[in-house]
Amino acid sequence: MAGDGRTASGNRDWSRLMGCAQDGDRAAYRALLQDMTPYLRSLAGRCFKEPGDIEDAVQDILLTVHAVRHAYDPRRPFGPWLVAIANRRIIDRLRRLTRAKSREIELTAEHETFSDPPANLSSNFSEVSVNAAALHEAIENLPPEQRQAIRLLKLKEMSLKEAAAASGRSISALKVATHRAIKSLRKILTSERP
Amino acid sequence: MTRTPELIDALVECAVPVRRLRPPILRAGLWLALAGVILALVAVVHGLRPDLAEALGRPAFAVGIAAALATGILAAVAAFTLSIPDRSRWWLLLPAPTLAVWVSTVGYGCLADWVSVGPEGVRLGDELGCLAILVLTSVPLAIALMVMLRYAALLRAGSVTLAAALAVAAITAAAVSMVHDHDASALILAWNLGTAALIAGVGSLCGRAMLRWAASHLTLTHADARLPSPPPAS
Repeated sequence: MAGDGRTASGNRDWSRLMGCAQDGDRAAYRALLQDMTPYLRSLAGRCFKEPGDIEDAVQDILLTVHAVRHAYDPRRPFGPWLVAIANRRIIDRLRRLTRAKSREIELTAEHETFSDPPANLSSNFSEVSVNAAALHEAIENLPPEQRQAIRLLKLKEMSLKEAAAASGRSISALKVATHRAIKSLRKILTSERP
Repeated sequence: MTRTPELIDALVECAVPVRRLRPPILRAGLWLALAGVILALVAVVHGLRPDLAEALGRPAFAVGIAAALATGILAAVAAFTLSIPDRSRWWLLLPAPTLAVWVSTVGYGCLADWVSVGPEGVRLGDELGCLAILVLTSVPLAIALMVMLRYAALLRAGSVTLAAALAVAAITAAAVSMVHDHDASALILAWNLGTAALIAGVGSLCGRAMLRWAASHLTLTHADARLPSPPPAS
């Protein structure tokens, strides 16, 4: 055994380091915790996919080891003691995650909707608002009959009957005007796109 | 979220010397010594049942009370051993044989020689006295065990609580049997197995919460108070 707590194979003796840590040796405690962390990460990595979950599990284990460090008997091997605590904490975290998943739905950007369209955050927010402005401009430039048909049937979402009553035009005239308006809009918007 | 290297720094900063736990068998012995003192106090204050010598001559009673005490002792050893992380969970089965003997002795004795409640019925005063002994024995024992096992809240709260509740229940049932004589089989069953079921049930329902409370209020040192507490075992 070397002076810094290393065994003949070059690895640090965790039992001895923990024994020193129990006596208040902070350098030994730091060495032990730093040595343990990659091992704990590999244990947690077998059960969790998300790096955040792995790191949370490692931190849970470190906090538990700290809280119960007086329960370690330096005459017994350290490995089984640590693995027992790690398994306990990992199982507890898995249970908590499973419970949370069974009753919670993760919100994504698509779930965030507001009544005012520009308030909706979106990755292509600027593109959406530019398209909306272009569409409104194109509608304004339509002939009056087509513009009226589009406003009543598409923007105000009236039925054909309601639109006919509101405009005083026949249903078939409205249908024809809408068809032509959509065709014109498609032409205008397609030609505007770079 | 705190990064792991920062957490290690915080843990190292809080690393004050700690007193190592004594071996589980020794700690169980300490708790059993406390149980012995409480039983002796109950016997002195209340007095033993007048026919104790005669009752101990009956094999069913003698085996029943010996099995109850043995169950209490083994369950206490199991609870303290289970509270150490690297010990096998099979320790929970340590009191199972004596528990089986206790339950079967009490049950068989009552069924083979059933004595129904007499014409004078159940005397309320006597039964309230029994209840007082149950509370006076079980509450201090449960509190002592909860404080001694508080760190198990982070590890095996369920198994430790079950073994601890069984230890308290068995010792309490033995105390009630030594102090009160019940002629009716129904009362013997109720006071032996009813006590065990009640204490084990309350222990299982509230034990984890009590351990967590004790762990959060009694474990933290001044230095540890700055750290986030690890979540308790579910």
